[in-house]
Parts: sequence; structure tokens; C-alpha cells
Amino acid sequence: MSLGLLFLTVLALSALGYAIGRRRAMSTVGGDMRKLHSLPTFYGWITALGVVVPVLFVSLVWLFLEGFVIHNSALSHIDQADVPIDSSVNLMMADVTRLSQGLSVLENDGFDLAKIKQDIDALKIALGDAGVAMGNDPTPNMIAAAEAVRTTAKNSRLGLTLTTLGLALAGLAWGLRRISPEFRARNATERVSIGLLIVASLIAVLTTLGIVVSLMAETVHFFGIYPASIFFFSSTWDPKFGGGSTLGILPLVWGTLYVSVISLVVAVPIGLFSAIYLAEYASRRVRSVVKPLIEVLAGIPTIVYGLFALITVGPLLRDWIAMPMGFGNSSSTVMTAGLVMGIMIIPFVSSLSDDIINAVPQSLRDGSLGLGATPSETIRQVVIPAALPGIVGAILLAASRAIGETMIVVLGAGAAAKLSLNPFEAMTTVTVKIVSQLTGDTEFASPETLVAFALGLTLFTFTLGLNVVALVIVRKYREQYE
Amino acid sequence: MKDLRLERDVQTETNKIEARKVQVYYGTNHALKDVDVDILDKTVTAFIGPSGCGKSTFLRCLNRMNDTVASARVEGMITLEGENIYDPRVDPVQLRAKIGMVFQKPNPFPKSIYDNVAYGPKIHGLTRTKAELDEVVEACLRKAALWNEVKDRLQSPGTGLSGGQQQRLCIARAIATSPEVLLMDEPCSALDPIATAQVEELIDELRSQFSVVIVTHSMQQAARVSQRTAFFHLGYLVEYGETGAIFTNPKDPRTESYITGRIG
Repeated sequence: MSLGLLFLTVLALSALGYAIGRRRAMSTVGGDMRKLHSLPTFYGWITALGVVVPVLFVSLVWLFLEGFVIHNSALSHIDQADVPIDSSVNLMMADVTRLSQGLSVLENDGFDLAKIKQDIDALKIALGDAGVAMGNDPTPNMIAAAEAVRTTAKNSRLGLTLTTLGLALAGLAWGLRRISPEFRARNATERVSIGLLIVASLIAVLTTLGIVVSLMAETVHFFGIYPASIFFFSSTWDPKFGGGSTLGILPLVWGTLYVSVISLVVAVPIGLFSAIYLAEYASRRVRSVVKPLIEVLAGIPTIVYGLFALITVGPLLRDWIAMPMGFGNSSSTVMTAGLVMGIMIIPFVSSLSDDIINAVPQSLRDGSLGLGATPSETIRQVVIPAALPGIVGAILLAASRAIGETMIVVLGAGAAAKLSLNPFEAMTTVTVKIVSQLTGDTEFASPETLVAFALGLTLFTFTLGLNVVALVIVRKYREQYE
Repeated sequence: MKDLRLERDVQTETNKIEARKVQVYYGTNHALKDVDVDILDKTVTAFIGPSGCGKSTFLRCLNRMNDTVASARVEGMITLEGENIYDPRVDPVQLRAKIGMVFQKPNPFPKSIYDNVAYGPKIHGLTRTKAELDEVVEACLRKAALWNEVKDRLQSPGTGLSGGQQQRLCIARAIATSPEVLLMDEPCSALDPIATAQVEELIDELRSQFSVVIVTHSMQQAARVSQRTAFFHLGYLVEYGETGAIFTNPKDPRTESYITGRIG
């Protein structure tokens, strides 16, 4: 049975469980709902959950382990001698997987597998006709391994089908047997739903952990083949294809900070002022129009901002400011990227700050106005200080957006890693270099490629630090007003 | 706790605030109808009445706090020492410096105790030096009977005080701008009886310097602290006169029903 059909069956069983569970609960008390501990729907739900939850859990674990089992069963057929000199076991195994898929295709097409497996040339041609590409020619051992993959996979699927169906039926029977007027179905259902909520939050946490771990592993690998002192302290970024590169992070960090600072200098005043206007002065009608319009800025894809920087802002700055004032003649500049990125993060600052300013209790404003303060004095001396922790949080959030931004920098500031104070010079950032190092043609295990992970981890540490600082600030000042 | 002081002299008879034919609308809702009141100088005037009767609305008219409510519209005339406060030439901001306000819920700013009190003097430029400001802050905290409790922690946040202390801090903050009239909108409704007694005592002392208008739900409180009482009902000012007379010998049957607990 295919996986989709299997799960549909289990779902149908659980729906059946819901209906029967409900009815059974009602029949145990002769139709008088008040004699049940819980509402009848809870008896239905707990029966349905008893069918689905164990099946989901077991089949997830099963599918997770299946890969290992299949891999090992194939590996046992392969000798070291089968692996071509210029290849690796992993590449070989990829071929085996493709071969096993190819064999299944051929079987469906009506080939006599037993016969064609004897004739490697015919097999090759048949596979080619079926559109299955192989890295190396199949050997008898590989064919054996591919067959092992096919059998193990088939057995595993059969096992999975039987196990899950068995579990589902057992869950149904057990759930129905449990139903009695005293059974606390509501409590049990709520416990299960709490469990589901915990699992959902765990998934987010575990994903973060997984990202960090995978970055870590490759970074450790990188520092194993490249000296950390050069990476952290060299002021040159000069990757070479043939090796012997100087991979100093300083120019990239400098570029990242420079662009981010310019974008914050643009976004913080504009965002904050528009938030103050919207929250304190604008009439409800103006607010209902302007706020969504500002938020539209957040919905524009960054590549579009990048085009705007490349086509409009860059040449404009070059022709009207940089050239006349003698700062340079490049249209890809830190200034271009910073300005455009600043516009991009305005909604982060303004929208969040607006919400935060609105959350300041009206009683504080009344208190200040009642003392004869003007609205602007009230805003400056009472409202903004009260909202400050939230505003700082909003700004730091915007900052981590700016630090992680790539597209605008590629198109606006160029890709030259430079340490310079001139804002009208091309520079680049960490993220841009991660992309360019990973999309090159260099071998994966070289420092030129692996450096991307070290850069990524550095960036991650950076933004994590910013977020921690933001949290600490927000928490420290949160309880200043009720 | 002080006993009921129903018989009490009203020391001066000069009118501080005169209101004539005041109407207030919230959108289409006619919240206050034809209110005529004379508020005397150096007197405590209490506004009583059931919830929604318009007493807080009228209080907020006296320092134009209703201006901050977009849908509110005020008609009629209110004068402060003969000057119409709704005249277009009057700046509501300056007016509010002269007519201070204390709110129902204590609302200290998220600043230090010192800065809370110094807020008004600072924005109005009432003091020239730091030493002068220190004096004003101390004097106001003393008047608000809070000085002894906070003198060692003037720099700690005002929000860290207890409810009663916070309300006295708000009173200190209001009198720091040296207003001529002090409006209090149910200043004790969020306080326990002990803090209430302290605030009431304070109101009685403040009478020597300001004219105080207090909105209250507690008739005992009105009887304890005020010399004049106004009874509002359904947007009308039903009866206004000496506190003793209102409570012992009300002229209007509605007033009598309210103070004896039959309505409201």
C-alpha cells in the first residue's frame, strides 16, 4: 500500500473512531449526557486521537530508520574493490540508488529483469532508454546491491503497512474499551492536545539547534584546514580558485556594519517619526490608510529593492553627489545599498513602534496633559520614555534584518571586499560572500567553499547577540508601567 | 478617620469658576444638559451622582480635557475668574497648568519620584535653579504628606510605590505647578480605607490654598471632605448647595432618593 493511501486509511479509521466513540459514550449512559464525565465529543476525540497519534509516531520513526537499514543492506554487497579510484563510496551509493530506481522502472515497462541483469550492456542501453542516468557502469555487485535496496524497501513498506494498520485497529479497540461514564475523556483529550502543542514548539527549537549544529560541523571542518588567525584578523579577502587564498573576514564585517549603520540612520528617524505621527497625531482615517501603505514596503521582495538600487538610486547618487563632490564614480556604493535597505526596514521600525506607542496607557498621557504639558512635551517626556524598551527592540529587529540582507547589497553595493571609509565606494557584506563562495565551481571540501559556513556562523552569532541584547533591554525596562 | 463634618463654614464667597448652560455631546449622545454651577474659591466642592450621570464629564470640561476626546463637543460658557475658558484665544495647555487634575487611577509617569514631581515645574519653567526645583519638590511632597515616606528614595521609580503613595505622588505632581484649582476624579476609588483617609485629610489641608473639585461615588466621602455638593443625575445638575443642607435637607426628591440609597 502506498504511503498516501495508508495514511488515508488510518485517518478514515480515526474518523470512524470518533463517530463510534461518541455514540458508545452516549449509549453507556442510555442517552443521558449529564451522567457522562465529559461531553460526548471528547469521547469521540480521545478515540480518534488514540488511533492517529501512535500511528504517526511509529511511522515517523520507521521512515527515519528505514533509510539506514536500506543503506546498510546495500552496503553489505559492495566491496572496496567496486569503488572506482576517482570516486567515493557515497557517489557509488548514489549510483546504486539510481540503479534500483531504474530497475523498478524497467520492471514496470515489462522487461525480464532476471535476464537483463545477466547482460550488463543491454541493461545499460535499457536504462538509458528509460531515462536513468548513471555515473559509472553497473557492476554485478552494484546490481546485487540495487536488488537488495529494492527488496529491503519493499519489505519495509509491507512491514510499515501491517504495523500501522495493526496499531490503528488496536488503538481503536483499546479506545472503545476504555469508554465508560467515569472515564475522564476531557482531561485525556486535553493532555494529548498539550502534548501536540509541546511537539510543535519543540520542532522550532530543534530546527534552530539543527541549523547551528550543521553550521558548526562545517565550520570546525573549515578551521581544520584553514588557520583561524587569518580568518579573524586578516584585512584581506582574496579567494583564489587554485588555493592559496587569503580569507580575512574583517573587510566583510566592516562592509556589513557600514551598510547596516547607514540603513539604520535612514530607517530609525523616518520610521520612528512616522510611528509617532500615526500613533499620536493622525486621525483614525489617515491612520487606517497610511499604516497599511507603509507596511506594503515590507512586502516588496528584496530583489525588487535591489533593482531599484541598481537602476535608480545608484546612478542618481553617482551623478548628483559622488561625481560632483569627487567621492568616486561608482554607482555601486555602500551609500546606495544603505539608503535602499533603510527604506526597506522602515516598516519594521514604524509598524512595531506604532503598536508599542499605542500600548502606552492613555492614563499617562492624560496625566501629563492634565498638568498643562503640550502634546509634544507629553510625547517626548512621557510616551517615548515609556515605550522606549519596545522601540529599542523594534530597532534591533530591524538591525538584524539589515545585517542579514543580501540581494540589495549585491545589486547596490557590488561584490568587492574592501576596507574603506568612503561611503561612495563599492563594498560587500558577509551574506553576499557566502552566496558567491558556495555558488562557485570550487571543490566542496576546499577552504574557499567551507569558509561560507564560518561566515554564516559568524553572522548567526552576530544577530543572535543582537537579539539577546534586545531581549535583555526589553525585559529590563518592561515593568516601568502597568 | 474624621467624623462626619456636616456643618462647616465656607470661608470665602468669591466665585472661582462659573459655568452657565453647559452642554456636552459625545457624538450624538447628549451627555450633559444645562449645567449651571458656581465653584467657590478655597472651597472643596463635591460632585456626586450615579455612574454615567455626567459628573466626570463636567469635571473634564473645567480644564478642557474633553478636547482630547475627538467626538466630544462642549457648548455654553465656563469662566475662570471671569475669563471664558472656551474662548479661542485661550490656550488649553496654559489653562491646564492653572487647573490641575488628579485621576481616578494613580498614574505616575515611568520616571523617578523626584522627576514625577519636577515634571510640571520643568515644563512650565517655574524654577530657575536646581536648588529651587529641589525645594519645590520637597514642599509639594510634604504638602502631599509623602515626604517622610520617600525622602530617602527620591530617585527610585514612582511606579514602585504602593497605590496610596502613588495617588499622593500624583497629587504632589499636580500641586507642583501651583494651580489655582485642583480637579480630582474619584481620587480614592482605587485606594484602601487608610490611604483614603490620608488623601481626604490632604484634601482638607489643600483647601487653604486651592479651590478643590472632587468627583466621588462615596457619599460619606463627599460629606466628610466637601463644603459644597452638586448632585448630578442623567446629565442634569439636580441640586447644588451646601453639603450639610444637601445631606440633611435635600430639596429635590431625586437627591433624597439617591442619598438615602433608593436610586443609583
